[in-house]
Formats: sequence, structure tokens, C-alpha cells
Amino acid sequence: MKRNSLTLAILMSCTGLASNAHADDTKLQAEVDALRAEVVELRGLVHELQSQRAPAQAASPVSGAALPNAPLPSAFAAANAVPAPAVSQPAATTAAGDAIPGTGGSGLALGANTSLWGYGQLDYNRPTKRISDTQADLTRAVIGFNHVFDENTRVYGELEWEHAVASSTDRGESEVEQLYVEHALAQNYGMRVGLTLVPLGLLNEHHEPGNFYGVERNFVEQAIIPSTWREGGVSMYGNTDWGFNWNVGIGTGPNLGAWDPAADEGRLSPLGSIHQELQLAKARDPSLYAAANWQGVPGLLLGGGVFTGKIGQGDAVLPVNRSRLILSEAHLRWQPGPFDFSALYTRGTISNTQDLNLQFLGQPTPVPKSFWGGYVQGAWRALEWGSDSSLSPFLRYEMFNTAAAYAAQPQGLGTAPLPTQRVWTLGANYYLNPNVVFKVDYQKFRYEDLVLGYGNRFDLGLGYQF
Amino acid sequence: MQSRWLIPVGAAVAAQAAFATQYLSVQQAQQEAFAGASEFRLVSAADAAARAAIGAPAGWAPQVFEARAGEKKLGWLIVDQVIGKSEAITYALALDAAGAVISLEVLDYRESHGSEVRMPAWRKQFVGKTAADAAALGREVKIISGATLSCRHLTEGVQRLLRWYEVALKAPA
Repeated sequence: MKRNSLTLAILMSCTGLASNAHADDTKLQAEVDALRAEVVELRGLVHELQSQRAPAQAASPVSGAALPNAPLPSAFAAANAVPAPAVSQPAATTAAGDAIPGTGGSGLALGANTSLWGYGQLDYNRPTKRISDTQADLTRAVIGFNHVFDENTRVYGELEWEHAVASSTDRGESEVEQLYVEHALAQNYGMRVGLTLVPLGLLNEHHEPGNFYGVERNFVEQAIIPSTWREGGVSMYGNTDWGFNWNVGIGTGPNLGAWDPAADEGRLSPLGSIHQELQLAKARDPSLYAAANWQGVPGLLLGGGVFTGKIGQGDAVLPVNRSRLILSEAHLRWQPGPFDFSALYTRGTISNTQDLNLQFLGQPTPVPKSFWGGYVQGAWRALEWGSDSSLSPFLRYEMFNTAAAYAAQPQGLGTAPLPTQRVWTLGANYYLNPNVVFKVDYQKFRYEDLVLGYGNRFDLGLGYQF
Repeated sequence: MQSRWLIPVGAAVAAQAAFATQYLSVQQAQQEAFAGASEFRLVSAADAAARAAIGAPAGWAPQVFEARAGEKKLGWLIVDQVIGKSEAITYALALDAAGAVISLEVLDYRESHGSEVRMPAWRKQFVGKTAADAAALGREVKIISGATLSCRHLTEGVQRLLRWYEVALKAPA
């Protein structure tokens, strides 16, 4: 359209010019030359405008992904006819773009710049020796949103309900799991401010049920790295063309002053029991983290990270101010063909816990000096139906200890370190499609602990994500 | 397989904001794939029979360019979109005159995670593939951990375009 108007304008100019053709040839030639130069300039401008417009169209927000078996995902907003895309000179032959409008919303778009996503997980756990403890649970239902302010800035959030019902008399929880503003500073790096996931391990940042094998998340990345672990603060991230990704941040950390020596939670997950989740978080002592991954060879992931900070948070009562947490981890994932192998090792220490533990004498759960865990896992996409459905059996072996050592304790009055737990998990993920997964597994524990929920069990699960 | 992630590409929209990293413009992708081209001729993708043959979703409107050097046909550059996890990925697939992949470029990426599909090492897996390889690509292309959906859906997008070549662009034998 624009092009046509332009041509018309040029033709009209030419007509006007022709009417003055009585002037001498030299003058005419000069005017033709001037006009020709103008046409070239205009053509350049048109191309520039087109190349500016083409990316803008390409960047138009999409109405979201489709649910399996749902109607086709929505298109861009429904106008038609792709305008002439950016082309190099000479001008392209412009065919009419498809005049087929988009198919309308799939239910995930909230206006042009906002989209919704989500995932959920339902579990059934049947302890083989204590069948009366069999439990079914809507473990989590999550709604996430992504709202774009401009080309470089957005807000990203994840809202979660755990265990179906959250109220003062129920055991469920309602929580904001992520909420941050992200600003891209350049193509390859940017920053986030708000509540973000700590980038440690294989699972914490990718915790949707379709991303892990087994009904429950592995123990190591619950007990030692307390997935889903998030902190409030500022972080920077970036990547390179050769597959190196990095993420560093400064922000809140756990609060050792909240340690409850009478409860079992500290033995289940030392950091899980004192993480603050940006809930009126005590924030005197900032923590730092840094993580890096290399994925330069397709199918291979090597990475690791460290989280450290003083975690006393200025507690006036407890002698915790010199205590420092250091949690580090390294991981590997290798996915050759239908196979999927992964391994992870993590270890944490909390310093200067001796005086604190003296105050906890006689209580069942002192603060550990060290805790660690690791696992190896192999999975095999054994069967496939079409390109969407597949069955992947897997086997995982985990070792972990949430209280491998305590600082020196008064003789005869101390608490013994915990024995190392070892868990075998054998099971399968059946992907009805890549976003809906049915899971089954059997878990065999080295030792039982009724309080911590350790004991051989059979699990069934359903997960989805969109 | 077709293909819930293969979103139809629109169409003109009023200016809208979109968090997107643009790595290449369409024009840059054209130049990189066909440095010797003198012309990029926009080809209609409206052939209903061909669309039906590949199961193209309604509203699917890739931008298909025929790259030419004078009268010589060099190949095609097709700009299309798929959904990564929940946002669109704009990509350009360059095919030579025989329909083999010259390059796959990610033009725009909008997800907070998974942009590793941009890595040359990952995209290189598609080079040389033809429509005959399309079916096997889903199994052969290695997935990047943490970018599973982006990898999978982009692979499906390439499969779709290879099939499109077969039914709509390939010169009759």
C-alpha cells in the first residue's frame, strides 16, 4: 500500500516535471538526475522502514502454547496479509501474504502482552510396610504469568498452591514462588530483580513434573538443595554462543535464627527449614551466589554453583552472627540418543554452630556442621508412539545425609550424626505427550524413619505443564 | 505429529510490545544464508492443497523467499515461528536449490530460559538434512537440557518446513 502511494507520488512528480519540458535539455537532464537521486533515496528509506517493521511483526506477542489436544494455538492477533518483509535490493517481487487470519485465542493469552502458563502434580504414595499411611495428594497446582512491558522489560511470576487447600486449619500452602522484573541489557545478558530461583542443581530452576523422572523430586534436591529454593535480590545472567551460561546474584539468604531444635524439619532439610522465601525475610546479611553451565556439545550439560552468606541475620538472642553457609554443587547431564544420564553432587557447611548448639542441648535437632548428597540416574526412552508419546524407564541411586557432622559437643551430651540414607528408585515416566506425564516408581530405602517419611514405597503420579 | 506447537504465524498486528531478543533480522538472515543473491522473491504459502498435505494449521503464514542470483535459483529462506515453552521463537530455515538445509537461524527469542537453541553447535545438527530426513529428526536431534521444549518444538518446525518444501517448493521432477 505504502509502496503504491510512493509510486503514485513519484509518477505525479514526473508528470509535473514533464509539463515543464519546454526548458532546455540541460535543465531537464539536471532535474531528471535530481529526481532519480530522490527515488534512490526514497527506495532506501522504504527498505529501512520495512526492515524496521519486519522485526516488529516477528516480535509480536503470541497468544501462548497449546494444550495437548486443544484447538490449535492462537496466532498473532488476527489481521491479515503480511506486509512486504525486509528484502535486500533489488526490491522483491511482493506476493500477497496469506490472507488467513489467526485462529483465535487458546485461552492462555491475557491481552496482547500477557501470557499464562502453568503446571501441576498429583501424587499417590503407598508405603509397602505401612499401608495405613497411604496418601493421595494434589501436591501442587501452579499458575505462572509473563507480562511484557517493552522489548527489554517484563515481569515474570509463579503462583503456587500446595496440597490443594490452604487455610488456617489446613495444611496446604499458598505461595509466590517467583516474581521478578527482568530487563535485558543486551542480546546476551540481562538482569532480574525480585524473587528468583537459586540457580543450583538440575532441578531447582526446572522443577516442572515433566522435567524429572519419578513421582517425587529426587531426595538430594529436596533435602540438601531445598527445591524450590528462591531468594529475593538482584541477579545478572548471560550466555555465549559457545554454550556457556552464567548467573550471579546477591540477595536474601536463610535465617539461622529460625532454626527449631525441637522440630524434625531441620533433619529433613537443613536449609529447607530456615529458608525465608521472601516472607518478611530478615535481610541484614546478604548472600551471594554464582552458577555456570556449559552446553557447548548438544546433549551434554556440565555445571555447578556456589551459594554463600552469613545467615545469622543479626539475631540479638542467639549466638549465630558469625555463622556462614556455603553450599556448592556440581552436575552433569548427558542425553545421547534415547538415553538420559545425570549425576549431581552437593555439599553444604554451616560454620560456628558450636555455641548455638550448646543452647539446644537435649533437643533432637541441633544445627549440622555439614550435610551432603549425590545421585546418579539413567533413563531410556524405550518406546515411542508417534512423535509425542513415549515411555522412559529409569533407575536412580541417591545417597544423602542432612546431618553428616556436628560441631564439637560436650562429651556425653551430644547428638550423633545421622546415618547416610541411600535410596534406589526404579520407575517409568509415560509421556502421553511432552507436556502430560504419568509416572510410576518403587523406592527402596536403606533405613526407615517414620518421622522423616523414609520407608519403601510405591508411587503413582500425574504431572502436566503448559 | 502436526503439531500443536507449530503456531500459525500472523499477520500484521498493531504495534505491540514483546520481550524479545532479536538476534538477526530477516534481511540479515537472507544475507547470511545467500550472500550471492541478487533478489529475494516472496513466494505465496497459500496453496491450499499443499497446506492440507502437511497439516498446516489455519492461519499458518510463513514468509517464504526464493533466493535468486539473476535467473539462477539459489534456494529458499523460510521465516516461521514455533512456541518454545509459552512464547514464540522466530526462526529462519535456509534450503538450497535441492531442498537441503543450509542453515537454521534463530531470529527472535522470547523465553526466559531455553535460549540455548541459538547455539551454533545445536543448530548445526540440521545442516544438510532434507525432506527425506524429516521423520527421523525428532529422534536424531540432540536435546539441550533446560531447553527441552524449545529444542523439540524448533525441530518440529524444521520438519514442517522440510515437508513444505517437498509439497510446495520442489520443482516437479
